[in-house]
Amino acid sequence: MVGRYRLHVNGERREVDLPAETPLLWALREQLGLLGPKYGCGVGACGACTSLVDGRAARPCVTTVAEARGSHVTTIEGLSEDGDHPVQRAWLELDVAQCGYCQPGQIMSTVALLAVDPDPDDAAIDAALRDNVCRCGTYTRVRAAVKRAAELKRGER
Amino acid sequence: MKRRTFLGGVLVVSAPIALPASAEAAGEFAPNVFVRLDDRGRITTTVPTPDCGQGVRTIVGLLVAEELAVGPGDVRLEQAPGDAQRFGWQGVGNSYSARHLTGPIRTAAATARCLLVAAAAGRWGVPVAECTARDGVVRHGRRAVRYRNLVRDAAALDPATVPVALTPRENWRLLGRTGAGRVDAKAIVTGKARYGIDTRPAGTLVAVVSRPQWIGAVVDSVDDSAARAVPGVVAVTTLDPATSGQGGVAVIARSMPEALRGREALRVTWRGGTPDADSRVWSAELESALPAVPAAPGPVSFEAVYRLPLLAHAPMEPTNATAHLTADGLTVWVPTQDPGGLRNVLAGQLGLDPARVRVEVTLAGGAFGGRGDPAPVLEAVACSRVAGAPVSVMWTRDDDMRHDAYRPMSVHRLSAVVDGAGVPTWRAHGIATWPLTLLPFFDNPEVVKANGDHFPYAVPGKVDVVLRPAPVRTGFWRAVYAGHFQYAEENFLSALARRAGLDQVDLRRRLLPADSRLRRVLDAAAARAGAVRSGFTRGVACHDDYGSVIAVIADSSEGRVRKVTAAVDVGPPLHLSGVRAQVEGAVMDAVSTVSGAQITVREGRVVQSSFADYAWARIDRAPDVDVVIVPSDAPVGGLGELAYPPAAAAIASATGQTVTGMPVGVEVG
Repeated sequence: MVGRYRLHVNGERREVDLPAETPLLWALREQLGLLGPKYGCGVGACGACTSLVDGRAARPCVTTVAEARGSHVTTIEGLSEDGDHPVQRAWLELDVAQCGYCQPGQIMSTVALLAVDPDPDDAAIDAALRDNVCRCGTYTRVRAAVKRAAELKRGER
Repeated sequence: MKRRTFLGGVLVVSAPIALPASAEAAGEFAPNVFVRLDDRGRITTTVPTPDCGQGVRTIVGLLVAEELAVGPGDVRLEQAPGDAQRFGWQGVGNSYSARHLTGPIRTAAATARCLLVAAAAGRWGVPVAECTARDGVVRHGRRAVRYRNLVRDAAALDPATVPVALTPRENWRLLGRTGAGRVDAKAIVTGKARYGIDTRPAGTLVAVVSRPQWIGAVVDSVDDSAARAVPGVVAVTTLDPATSGQGGVAVIARSMPEALRGREALRVTWRGGTPDADSRVWSAELESALPAVPAAPGPVSFEAVYRLPLLAHAPMEPTNATAHLTADGLTVWVPTQDPGGLRNVLAGQLGLDPARVRVEVTLAGGAFGGRGDPAPVLEAVACSRVAGAPVSVMWTRDDDMRHDAYRPMSVHRLSAVVDGAGVPTWRAHGIATWPLTLLPFFDNPEVVKANGDHFPYAVPGKVDVVLRPAPVRTGFWRAVYAGHFQYAEENFLSALARRAGLDQVDLRRRLLPADSRLRRVLDAAAARAGAVRSGFTRGVACHDDYGSVIAVIADSSEGRVRKVTAAVDVGPPLHLSGVRAQVEGAVMDAVSTVSGAQITVREGRVVQSSFADYAWARIDRAPDVDVVIVPSDAPVGGLGELAYPPAAAAIASATGQTVTGMPVGVEVG
């Protein structure tokens, strides 16, 4: 049954007409044209689609449009106009990405982490990013970039 | 460059990559296929090979900026379509990107610079040697002219009459010096980077394929009535394995979720194949096929057997391909590792003139050797033919994990004769493995041996390879057979050292020529790593391949590798951050494969279906990685695969356990 679902995506009110069980990921990618959240597994096991739903890190591939109804969704595209969010700046400073495919998800998980823990230690980083798989093996730089992003967010140079 | 527009809710993606320079357009100077300048000051370079994360786009941009004496931000990159006649070999493989392209790209850009300088010198009537090019300007004394104002004059010169001088390495400003990051980094962190999965021309349909339920199975019967009734499903078609990849039943729909719902509603029965296949049995069969140990010059004092598993590529971007077949020809958009080869395969298979086959190259979300298979593209072509529209074939993660062309299993038996101090004086290495089904060239023990055997130490001996028929599709996986051979060799050497109480670094130093590149990097790694800390276990391994050398030292404690120190000599490093990244990435492959990731087969099926059960390492397993770049005068070497075999061996050895295979301490198969 196709229903109409209202979402707040990157600060804009959007509507999609889809069956209730449709994963939010495909609504974002195929209906709304937001290609930043990546399809990696479809079962919530890789983190490539990680986006914020009501401020928390969520997996749009296992979140249905019905569950997301009325939510505020932030994808990587909604983080900043031009890549100047502190997490993005840290990622650029440390040249984290290799193929880059998982990085929107890594970045969004980091944004969610820093919202609740402005100075995460290694254990907190591991816990928050453990389910964001990177096949290129950028983890050591991800870890450094999370810490750098925390500094930038706190206003340190 | 605006790539996305929206028409009536349908996502439209124009071809992400512009055409390469055709002939000389008005106001354009295009001395070769790689570099062109126009009279608006734009410098454009065509990147001939795909970027799968190895950073070739960054390297090509730096090479051109260096030789044209401009800033790296002044060079626009275009991605070449598949056209081996124009661009030469366009494959990403054998760690060739840097070593294969550095010469041609530098020469192409230097040719442009020399012609621009000659044009200025001609205009001023002064000797070329008195002119300099810098920051996009040619100067002579107080006179200066911008490149853009020389474009027409330069285009009129005959390149054959102008000598080309490369910028000497000691004058490099960017190559090996810049701290700048990857050229696509900004696009990546803003979500604007476009991969195969993001590239859909207007009106593209989406297909998912119901794939063989066990290895080698073929479709027996299809009941697609329920699938066709699913809203959004446009067509259902059976794929012939002879012409369309691995076979199966494709459900073509307007969107991915509709295609998935259609696939769920399909009723397919299968026949044939090997429904009883079991990877433990495969490993045992390889072990029983091991070649006999050759006659040794003395008593064999130590022998060990190592068993290696199947590995999947599992790139973060699952396999996908988009094709549009029309009466005029074929266009495909695909994250391929070999666009030129793919074009020829498609033309041959479809009986088309290659001129009517266009292969557009997207960024690839990882590759690791797994994106050379034309099968997914042939699936997309078959679907486009049925649908009469462009079709994206999307492999789900489950498809990707269970229907890959895997790294072959192998079993190794190593034997050694040692002297009184425990140092090996003779060795034998027998290997039983499978060929690579994706490339029949490898169905030859000598080819496999040449690819895998890079034993660098001064120990005479014999290496024998036995190939058994592959019971599953196999293909290239980072480092290919060197990943098998060197893992076994270095673990065996580590075991010999432990038995004799020899220091791991000292034993290797003793067996390497004093003036060798490998010994220099081993010394550099050892110096950087320092003494083994209390409570830590150390593993050491070296590798010489692709024109580069590396030594890796891994330090573990409490069952985890904590620190990896690598010293690498790649000749001149071109992009420093990229050099470190390749080593860091290979180290994580090593951590993953040593600590538990493997593909297993039970009852004819691959067991693993996602990252939930393919135990790839996560951030909590990431060691610190310290990369020392050792300068040398050697030519540019390859690096993409170099660090994997020694990192895996060093990390396995650092577990302190008796290593009997990969993963360590886990049943193989």
